[in-house]
Amino acid sequence: MQCREFREIADSYLGNELIVETNHEVISHLEHCSECRSELAARRELRSQLREAFIKAPENQMSPEFTQRLRTQLHDYAVGKRSVTPVSQRVWRSSVMVRRTSWLALAACLLLASAFGLVLVRQRISERSPQQGKEGVAGREPTPTYPAELNPGIPVSIVKTELARDAAGDHRDCAVHFRLAEKPIDLEVAGRKYDPVYVNLTKAVVSEQGEVPFGAEFVEAHSCVFQGRRFAHIILRYHGRLVSFLVTEIGDSNPAKTNAALASKGAQVIACSQFDGYQVSCFQTARHAVFIVSDLPEGDNLALARAVAPSVFAHITHAENPA
Amino acid sequence: MFAIAPTRESQVAVEKQWSAFEAEAMPHATSLFRIALWLTRDQTEAEDLVQETLTEALASFHRFTPGTNCRAWLVSIMYHRHSKRRKATTRLHLVSDAEERIAETIAFEAPTPQNVTDEEVLGALERLPRAFQEVVILADVEEMSYKEIAAATDVPMGTVMSRISRGRSLLRGELASYAKAHGFGESDKRRISRVSEDQ
Repeated sequence: MQCREFREIADSYLGNELIVETNHEVISHLEHCSECRSELAARRELRSQLREAFIKAPENQMSPEFTQRLRTQLHDYAVGKRSVTPVSQRVWRSSVMVRRTSWLALAACLLLASAFGLVLVRQRISERSPQQGKEGVAGREPTPTYPAELNPGIPVSIVKTELARDAAGDHRDCAVHFRLAEKPIDLEVAGRKYDPVYVNLTKAVVSEQGEVPFGAEFVEAHSCVFQGRRFAHIILRYHGRLVSFLVTEIGDSNPAKTNAALASKGAQVIACSQFDGYQVSCFQTARHAVFIVSDLPEGDNLALARAVAPSVFAHITHAENPA
Repeated sequence: MFAIAPTRESQVAVEKQWSAFEAEAMPHATSLFRIALWLTRDQTEAEDLVQETLTEALASFHRFTPGTNCRAWLVSIMYHRHSKRRKATTRLHLVSDAEERIAETIAFEAPTPQNVTDEEVLGALERLPRAFQEVVILADVEEMSYKEIAAATDVPMGTVMSRISRGRSLLRGELASYAKAHGFGESDKRRISRVSEDQ
């Protein structure tokens, strides 16, 4: 074999693509040709360098968020839980949303007007007959297990119903269906921009070793907005089901009074009942409500909430009172 | 999608098949993403393509033969998906005759330079015509065989072999030009010491 011939097939030799006979000829040539040996070594090195450089190039890395989301979506698809939404559609259907916005705004105005009218009528009825009115409302409320004095500064019914409904909606539209109008943002960024409680909140749920109580699996953490309300949103997977930890600000009560009341009770977790088929457990601090939402059985949802509540409660309380 | 029946047995079977898919196919997601990014030149599109590829692979995982090259199978699915997407949006990109002719006219084989940086290697790769970049990436980075590349890209085996050979040659030529322009090359001390080591 001549050197010129060797150089023509050297790459195929490196790729192990030659037939046995040709391989023998190459080996025989290399035994007595140092120049071709060094050329072969140089090509091998270049190939190895190309491979490493390409694989390590920063732009060629998959983001951890995409990796996790991909795994979650495929698993859900495998077990028949839902179809897979393309990234480009999920990012974020904004054009469709813009077109729909004017119609949605009109519908929302009509709905608000109707709701306002209804509230006025109900208020007049309850003014005339307070006892009868209370019973009527209570009759439509979910399971009444919420202790009324948990946070004296915040009306119990608001946390229990309005916010819990929003939390369930956020879980459904963000964690399960990825169809929020506004793209979620990084939780730490949101912490610096909107609410310091969000900073390091993930560490209160997930240990430094990446462990979550009961062997639940961490999926992702971000901050998202549902119906105008901002949430810190930590998504876990437990027994194959998505579980959302949602933290939202609920206004400023008297922190000293509230903290004293809460301190005596600890981070109590309350089963708030079901909304849209999702179990919602919740507890609150002086200025925040925490919701745990999933389609797990009520006992599992509550147990998971109780397991994480002490560390989350401590983190939020500390962040609310930095001094 | 896997068959879903309300019985516990079928749920166990679905989870079992997911576990097999997760073990066999998911480790190649990063590799698929690199190829997808090269094909689309857009991160969101690349993520879409990877997602579509793995979803299709999951749906037809029963067709995959254990023990064969799963990555090559996934890359084939990805090329098929990509081809469908491109046909839907634009005319299929073909390697121009000019590109092939350019490659065919390379007669001089420059010695392979050795002391180039990663950036220079990637820069040289980027300057190759796309058809040659493609086969070099699939062969040298993703370590696919000629046969697997031919199957995935739907290009005849002989053409694949020719392109790989020319692509590598062009890459070395690019790097050799760079080395010459910067005053190092065959006479480089490191190269000499390597030669003596080989001997």
